[in-house]
Amino acid sequence: MTASAAQNSQLPLRELVRGRKVVALVGSGGVGKTTSAAALALRLAVDGQRVLVLTIDPARRLANSLGLSALGNKETPIDLSSLRARGIEPRGQLSAMMLDLKTAWDELVRKDSRSPAQAEAILKNRLYQTVSTVLAGSLEYMAMEQVQRISASGRYDVVVLDTPPTSNALDFLGAPDRLMDMLDNDAMRFVLGPMLKAGSFGLKLFALPSSIILKTLARFTGADFLRDVADFFVAFEGMYEGFTQRAAQVKALLASPESAFVLVTSPSALTIDEALFFHRALSDARIKTAAVIVNRMQRDPRAVGGAELAADLVEALSRAQIPDAPAAPAALHELGAVESSALDAKGGELLSARLARTLLEQAALADVDHREVARLTAALPGVPLYVAPRLRRDIHDLSGLWQIHESLGAF
Amino acid sequence: MSEGDISERGLHTDLLSRRLLVVTGKGGTGKSTISAALALAAARRGKRVLVCEVSARERVSELFGKPPSGPEIRELAKNVYSVHVRPPEAMREYGIMTLRSETLYNLVFERKVVRYFLRAAPSLAEIVMLGKIAWHAEKEFDRGVHKWDLVVLDAPATGHALALLTVPRVFLSLVSDGPLAADMTWIQTLLQDPTRTQVLVASLPEEMPVNEAIELRAALCKEKLPLGPLVLNAVFQPRFTEAERTAVARGGPMLSAAADAADGHEARAQMSVQYEKVLRDAIAAQSAPGQAAQGPLLCVPQLFERQFGLNAIEKVAHALEGAL
Ligand SMILES: Nc1ncnc2c1ncn2[C@@H]1O[C@H](COP(=O)(O)OP(=O)(O)O)[C@@H](O)[C@H]1O
Ligand SMILES: Nc1ncnc2c1ncn2[C@@H]1O[C@H](COP(=O)(O)OP(=O)(O)O)[C@@H](O)[C@H]1O
Ligand SMILES: [Mg+2]
Ligand SMILES: [Mg+2]
Repeated sequence: MTASAAQNSQLPLRELVRGRKVVALVGSGGVGKTTSAAALALRLAVDGQRVLVLTIDPARRLANSLGLSALGNKETPIDLSSLRARGIEPRGQLSAMMLDLKTAWDELVRKDSRSPAQAEAILKNRLYQTVSTVLAGSLEYMAMEQVQRISASGRYDVVVLDTPPTSNALDFLGAPDRLMDMLDNDAMRFVLGPMLKAGSFGLKLFALPSSIILKTLARFTGADFLRDVADFFVAFEGMYEGFTQRAAQVKALLASPESAFVLVTSPSALTIDEALFFHRALSDARIKTAAVIVNRMQRDPRAVGGAELAADLVEALSRAQIPDAPAAPAALHELGAVESSALDAKGGELLSARLARTLLEQAALADVDHREVARLTAALPGVPLYVAPRLRRDIHDLSGLWQIHESLGAF
Repeated sequence: MSEGDISERGLHTDLLSRRLLVVTGKGGTGKSTISAALALAAARRGKRVLVCEVSARERVSELFGKPPSGPEIRELAKNVYSVHVRPPEAMREYGIMTLRSETLYNLVFERKVVRYFLRAAPSLAEIVMLGKIAWHAEKEFDRGVHKWDLVVLDAPATGHALALLTVPRVFLSLVSDGPLAADMTWIQTLLQDPTRTQVLVASLPEEMPVNEAIELRAALCKEKLPLGPLVLNAVFQPRFTEAERTAVARGGPMLSAAADAADGHEARAQMSVQYEKVLRDAIAAQSAPGQAAQGPLLCVPQLFERQFGLNAIEKVAHALEGAL
């Protein structure tokens, strides 16, 4: 395997996702989901579609250059005119929106509550204030909830969904269920029952824990905590149905042919394991993996040809009349790696030796990446694969995003 | 060597004599690698070390070439042990310990609806996990002495780590009675005591991990959690002069691969230099008068291992010890 483009699927990614209403990019943290989502959204917008990219945690400079820095939960049109300098005429529109978890939750509570008083009671609940920001899976749930809502609005042809850096792939798919678990009044009512009392205005908090179960739990958590939990469920009373219904809609949308799931991974063994795990979790949920993007693939210097061994490099340098000069004495931690024959009298490493060592190191990185991609390909037969190289600088503007397609040639 | 080096040295020597070291940072920055290396370095000094893993998949045991430890403590190397701390087992251990009765625990906590309740009750998972880890660090004795000289927590990534470490404060703001509240009180004292606990933040020389490290340290500082060293992992050292690269790049086809490799290396080295400076400046700014003392910056070089295992961990431990 040499040039990475050779591995890319024949059909460009933009063609592969054509006609889909939702494209979700999923994968572990730091692999390039946010960058790929922005790059794909940009490409679809340039091609003429009305695109919204819903992003979660953009790198600050990317957010700045997209004009997202100051925004919460608002859809914001992105100015694409800077691409004209590159000779690109955008035919569609790109909007971006950054998910702010706390605001999203508050909005949902206001919308679903039966009265402004109930909304206030929830928003003021002490447990809610911590739950709405830390509850595992709640970011995932909110992301899907927003996608469903925006997609149904018809304002966009396609919503590209960047997903949160989930610590566990299942968090994402399991989020709606877990949230439902949490808000499921039945279990709570059973356990906390003796603390609750039905009144004319719904449930009310009642007295101290009295049953044996509650007393034992209280010995463990303290009665205050149980009272807070009970208070929380009283506050949410009657909202469960709304949540369940919406969760069902979200699930249906994601499982439908109108959605495409694209797995994003880096070539490192750990993230590939996670990608494979995610792929299995998707198939268990009967969702097809539409494509895989392997991002930040190390370039193999040997692919461009030329001398590789120290002896050949000495000769090549001398032919090119480049002095084989020593560098400053090798840094302490590098010393172990340097052969003594490669050093001059003062302990400086010769240029030929430094080049040979650098070649070996860069090649080792590329070999490891190729080995891992081969493993991924073998495990996912038939899933279109796109490989994006590790660019030699940070990507933080439209032009950098565009460079991703150019180097891919396949987005 | 400058004065700065001497003070860094002192701090770092002390590092391994703490009771609890917490390693966090953005995903993929090397938390597990650094946790394993710290454990190895401490074990080499004759300390008995327990590594607590909390992520969905164990990594530290794997780095030592051992099968996953699971919920039972297993030996990974001489003086290095690990355990996978998971909510269900932690809940059980903790419940039995506080109720002082397994029968009562089984009678109540093992009921389906109660399990359901416990799973859904916010932060309870973090509470019992942290409770177990802190217990190993501070309350587990063997013949009158601490069973572990050092506990290393391979913590989750930034947001989840913050949620884990602040759970005592959050819980105590809601609850003031009961055994959990009592435990959260001593755990919070342990976590906030710089002579017993240090939180190390790992970063890579890239924009997002660096920003995240700076923000995380500010947040930890606000929570009065003692900051240990900031570890900049996978650093590339500059190796070629500008003139050398230009010459090699123009040196003809025989030097193509070498020129490309040198470019790749220097691109990473430049980022390393740039972000090392960003982090040093941030540490200096955060250490302004009136602020709590800040840990030093430790650099760990990029390694080129084809199999990242125990030999890599030894190199990382060596680099960390380089400051000793
Ligand atoms: N192909 C690439 N080459 C170089 N840097 C990249 C590449 N893709 C992403 N990055 C950088 O990596 C960092 C993490 O990418 P991001 O898209 O935010 O990941 P995620 O959303 O999966 O956490 C960003 O700083 C980004 O600029
Ligand atoms: N100094 C280093 N040089 C090269 N690779 C490294 C280095 N430190 C860590 N890695 C690799 O980076 C990846 C992430 O490291 P890991 O310790 O698992 O991170 P985290 O626990 O923060 O997710 C692993 O594949 C590991 O082998
Ligand atoms: Mg992201
Ligand atoms: Mg880890």
